[in-house]
Amino acid sequence: MTTTRRGLLQFLGGSAVGALFTPAPWRLITDTALWSENWPGIPRPARGEARYKFTNCSLCDAGCAVRARCIGDQPVSLAGVGGGLCPFGLTAHHLPFHPARLKEGPVKEAAAAVTSAIANRGPTEHVAVLDLRPGRTASWMYRQAMASIPNGTYLAPPEPLVAVDLQKARTVLSLGAPLLDGWGTPSKVFAARDQFRLIQAEAVESRTAALADVWLPVAPGTEGALASAVTGEVDAADAARITGLSAEQVERLLNELKENGPALVVDSEMSPAVVDANVRLGGWGHTIGPRPQAPTPDAWNKAAPVADLDKVPNGSIRVLLIDESAAGAYLPWAPIEKKLAANALVVAVAPYDGGYARHAQYVLPAAIYPETMDDIPPAVDSMAATFRLAAPLVAAPAGMASVRELLGISDGLRERADAIHKVGQGLLVTYADGKSVAVKDLKADDFWKALNAGGAWTGDTKLPAERRRDEARRGREESLRHVDPEYPFTVVTERRVAGLCSPALSQIYQESNLRLAPNRIALHPSDASRCGVADGARALIETASGKREVIVTVDSSIRSGVVLAPGREDVAFTSAKVVRI
Amino acid sequence: MKALIPFVAGALVALGGGWAGFPHAIYKSRPQPVDFSHKVHAEKAGAKCEDCHAFRGDGTFAGIPALDKCTGCHAAAMGTTVAEKNFIDQYVTPGREPQWAAYARQPENVFFSHITHVKLGQVKCESCHGSQGSTDQLPRYQEDRISGYSRDIWGTAGRPGMTMDSCVACHRQQKLEHSCLDCHK
Amino acid sequence: MSPKRYGMSIDVDRCNGCGACMVACAVENNIPPAHAGVNERKGTTWIRVYKVDNGEDYAGKRSAFVPVLCQHCGEHTPCASVCPQQAVDVDPRTGIVGQMPERCLGCRYCMAACPYHARYFNWFDPAWPAGMEKTLNPDVAPRMRGVVEKCNFCHGRWHAAKERAAAAGLDDIQPGDYIPACVEACPTGALRFGDLNDSATAVAQDAKRPESFRLLEKIGTDPKIYYRSRKDWVRQIASAPKNKESFHG
Repeated sequence: MTTTRRGLLQFLGGSAVGALFTPAPWRLITDTALWSENWPGIPRPARGEARYKFTNCSLCDAGCAVRARCIGDQPVSLAGVGGGLCPFGLTAHHLPFHPARLKEGPVKEAAAAVTSAIANRGPTEHVAVLDLRPGRTASWMYRQAMASIPNGTYLAPPEPLVAVDLQKARTVLSLGAPLLDGWGTPSKVFAARDQFRLIQAEAVESRTAALADVWLPVAPGTEGALASAVTGEVDAADAARITGLSAEQVERLLNELKENGPALVVDSEMSPAVVDANVRLGGWGHTIGPRPQAPTPDAWNKAAPVADLDKVPNGSIRVLLIDESAAGAYLPWAPIEKKLAANALVVAVAPYDGGYARHAQYVLPAAIYPETMDDIPPAVDSMAATFRLAAPLVAAPAGMASVRELLGISDGLRERADAIHKVGQGLLVTYADGKSVAVKDLKADDFWKALNAGGAWTGDTKLPAERRRDEARRGREESLRHVDPEYPFTVVTERRVAGLCSPALSQIYQESNLRLAPNRIALHPSDASRCGVADGARALIETASGKREVIVTVDSSIRSGVVLAPGREDVAFTSAKVVRI
Repeated sequence: MKALIPFVAGALVALGGGWAGFPHAIYKSRPQPVDFSHKVHAEKAGAKCEDCHAFRGDGTFAGIPALDKCTGCHAAAMGTTVAEKNFIDQYVTPGREPQWAAYARQPENVFFSHITHVKLGQVKCESCHGSQGSTDQLPRYQEDRISGYSRDIWGTAGRPGMTMDSCVACHRQQKLEHSCLDCHK
Repeated sequence: MSPKRYGMSIDVDRCNGCGACMVACAVENNIPPAHAGVNERKGTTWIRVYKVDNGEDYAGKRSAFVPVLCQHCGEHTPCASVCPQQAVDVDPRTGIVGQMPERCLGCRYCMAACPYHARYFNWFDPAWPAGMEKTLNPDVAPRMRGVVEKCNFCHGRWHAAKERAAAAGLDDIQPGDYIPACVEACPTGALRFGDLNDSATAVAQDAKRPESFRLLEKIGTDPKIYYRSRKDWVRQIASAPKNKESFHG
C-alpha cells in the first residue's frame, strides 16, 4: 500500500477524531487553566499554626500595646490591644524586609576605630553619644557610660519636662499639637474625646482642626501668643493682632478657659509658655505635672546630664556615636558639626542611611522594630510612671550593630525591671490575658517574664503640690515675622514617625493621596497659581536647609503664605520659596 | 472501505496513545520521602486518623504531621525495618522535616474546613480519602507536569475526586449550597 | 441559623482620616505595595478614605473624612447583575457580596456598574520586596493581574470564626468573634461592624439613628453601610454633591 497524501490526511483526521474520545485534549485544556492560576511570580503564603505574641510598639512614645498574629514565628498581621494602631504600627512587621534597610556594614572595623580613638584621644577631646530617643533605659546607660570616662558628653534632643492628664480636662486648647492625629497615646485620647471640648489653634486646617469643636486659624508660629494671653503677659488685643484673629475670638477663648475648667493648654513640645499658662489656669498637680520616671537602680545616680550643645567647646568632639536605631526627632546637624574636631570619628548606627549617614565615616546597620529589645519612654499624656518593654517579635539578622556594643555596656533592662520590682508599687497589666496584678504580689523573675511576654507597668500617680521652677528652655520667637519677599512662604510641618515606613503605606500616599507623602508639599490654590504650579506638578522648595524636589498638592486648608511640608521639623516656621520645575 | 483504513488507523492510534500513552507523558512520579505504612501504625500502634492528623484548639487542621509528632515515639528505632532506619538516619537524627507530597493539595484560593466536615458534618475520613489510611504502603505520588496537582485529585476507584465538581455534587445532595465564598478565599 | 445581614456603621464626625483602616485592609488581604507610577486612579484600595469639605475657602473651610468601601448592596446588586462570569455572588445567609477573582476574566463591567467606585482592577502583577512575601496572610489568596477585586468583609476572618465555632461544636459563629481588619484597626472607634438583623448590636442601633444615612440612597441599591454625621454640610454632600471640587479623591 503506497502512502498517498490523501491517506496521510485521512490518518491525521482519524487521529484528531480519535483523540477527542481520549482524555488528552480535555485534560490539556484543564491543565492550561490550572497552570495559568499558578503564575510563577505570585507567592504562596506560608501555612502553619497561628499563634499570638504580644509586645509594645516602639515606633513612637505612645508605645501602643500590640498583638501580633504569627504563622510559626513570622508575624503576618498586627493589631492593637484595647485600641487601634496607626498605619505605621500596623505595618511594622514589614520593616525587617524594607528594601532600603541596611543589611551589613564594617562593624568590626568601626569598633576597632572607636576603641582606638577613645583610648588615644587628647586630654581635652570629648567622646559624645548622640541619643535620638532620650528617656529610654538605653539613655540611662549612655549617660552612665559618659559619666564614667573623662570628657564624656551625652547629647540628645530636648524632652518635655511635664506630663499632662487629658482625662481630667473639660476644655483643651491645643496650640498646633496634633491632638487627634497621633499625639500622646491615641487610644487614651480617643477614649476620652467625648469628655472635653477641643479648641485647635493652627495655621492650617489639619485633621485635628477638622475634628475639633473650634478651629482658630492663626498665623503660622504665633500660637504661643495665645498661651501668653492666658498668663497675662500679652493682652487679648495684642494676641489678636499677632495671631490674626479677632479680639472677640481671643476674649471668648480666654473666658471659656476660665469658666469651663478644668482647662488644659498643650502644644507639640510643652514649651515653657504653655506650662506657665497651665499653671495660671490652676492645673499644676491636676491636669499637668512633672514628667514621671520609672524607678532606676541606685547605682545609676552617677549619670551624665544632657549636655548643652552651646557649652561644648567648638572642635572638641573626637568621637561621636549616633544612636539612630529608634530615632524620634532629629537635631539640626550644623550646630553639632561645629563641635566636631577636624579628625572626628563619627559612627552612625541606623536601620537605613537617610538620617545622619551622610555625615558619618562609618554607617552601621541597626536592628529595627520588631527585632529590637528596647523600652519606650513615657508618653506626654502619662501622668504616672510607666515601664514598657518592646520585646522582639522576630530575631534580628546577623551582623547588626548597636552603640551600646561599641561602648561595651549592657542594655540595663533587667536591672531596671528589678529596681522597679524592688520599689514594689504600681500595677502590671499583661496583654495575653488582660489581667492586672500588683507588683508587690509578683516575684522579680515573674515580673521580668511577664514584661517580655507583652505587658506594661504603671506606677502609682503622686501629684506634687509645689511646682519646681525648671530651667527655662529656649522657645520660639513669637514676634511678627518679617516676610522676605524672596522667600515668601512660612513652612509648617506635620509630624510623622521618623525613619523607614512599610512600602504598604502606598495605600495612604500615592494610591489615595489621603496623607501628604514625604515627597509632597501643600499650597493654597492662590499661592499655587502665583507660583505657576498645578495640583500634581513638580516643584522645588528652597529653605535654609537647601533645595528639595517635591510634588505639589493644592489644598484650600492651607493658609495663604504657608507651605505645608510633612516631616520637615528642621525648617519648621522658617522661610521658604517654591519654584516650578 | 479500504479508503477508510488510514482514517480508522489514525483513530485507533490516537485512542491507544490517548488512553495508554498520555498518562505516562503527562504525569511524573515522585517517591515519598519515607516508606510509611498506615497499616502498621493503625494496627500495631492503635492510632486513629486524628491522633496524627490533628485539629488544633482553634479548629484549624494541622494536615500531614510534622517531625515532632513522629519523634514522639520514634526518637529511637522501635522496630527492625529498613524503612524506619532510613527515616531515623535521614530525618530524625539531623532534625530535618520530611517533604511529604500531599495527594489532596488544593489551589491557593480554596478554603476547605476539615473540622466543619468532620465534626459538624460527621463525614468519615474514608469518604474523601478512601482507603489511604489502611494501606501498607503509601500510594505512588503522580504529579501532572503542567498543572502541578496530584493525579489523585481526579479520583480513583473506591473514592471520589477532589475537584470542585466532586465537592459540589455532595454539597448539592446535602442541600448545603449557599455561597461561593464558603469554599473560596 | 437565622439569616444575617452583616453591615457597618461609620461615624464621619469621628473619622480623622488617619488611614489605619486602609492599611489594615491591605495587610489582611495581601494587597501588594503599589508599583512606581501608580497614582490615585490606579491604586488598589478596597477601603478608601475620601476627604470632603464644605466648599468654603480657608478660614471658613471645614473638612471631613469619609471611608468608602464596598457597600454590599442588598437590592439588585449592580455588580452581580452585570458580571458575565458569575464571579460575584450574594450570600443569602450573611448578605455579603462576594467577589471571586478566580472566576473573573477582567472585563471590568462590574467596575462600571458599581455606583460607589468600590471595585479595583489589578493593573499589575503583584510584587513584594524580597522577603516581604513571608508576611502574607494565609487566610486570603493573592490575586494575579487582570482580575477585579473588592472588599469581602474579610471573609478569611469569617472562615476562621466558623472554624472556631465548629471546634466548639456550634453551628453558628459567636457575635463579636468576627470583626473585619478595618474595624479592628480603627483607632478612633469610628467604624463598627455587626449583624443589622440583630437589634441588640451597636450597628443595628446606629442604623436607626436620625443622623444616619446611606450613600446614594435614591438609586435604591439598599447598601449595608450606614454613615452618620451631625454636620449638616456633610449630610448635604452625601445626598446631593454640591459641586465636583468638594470631593477630594
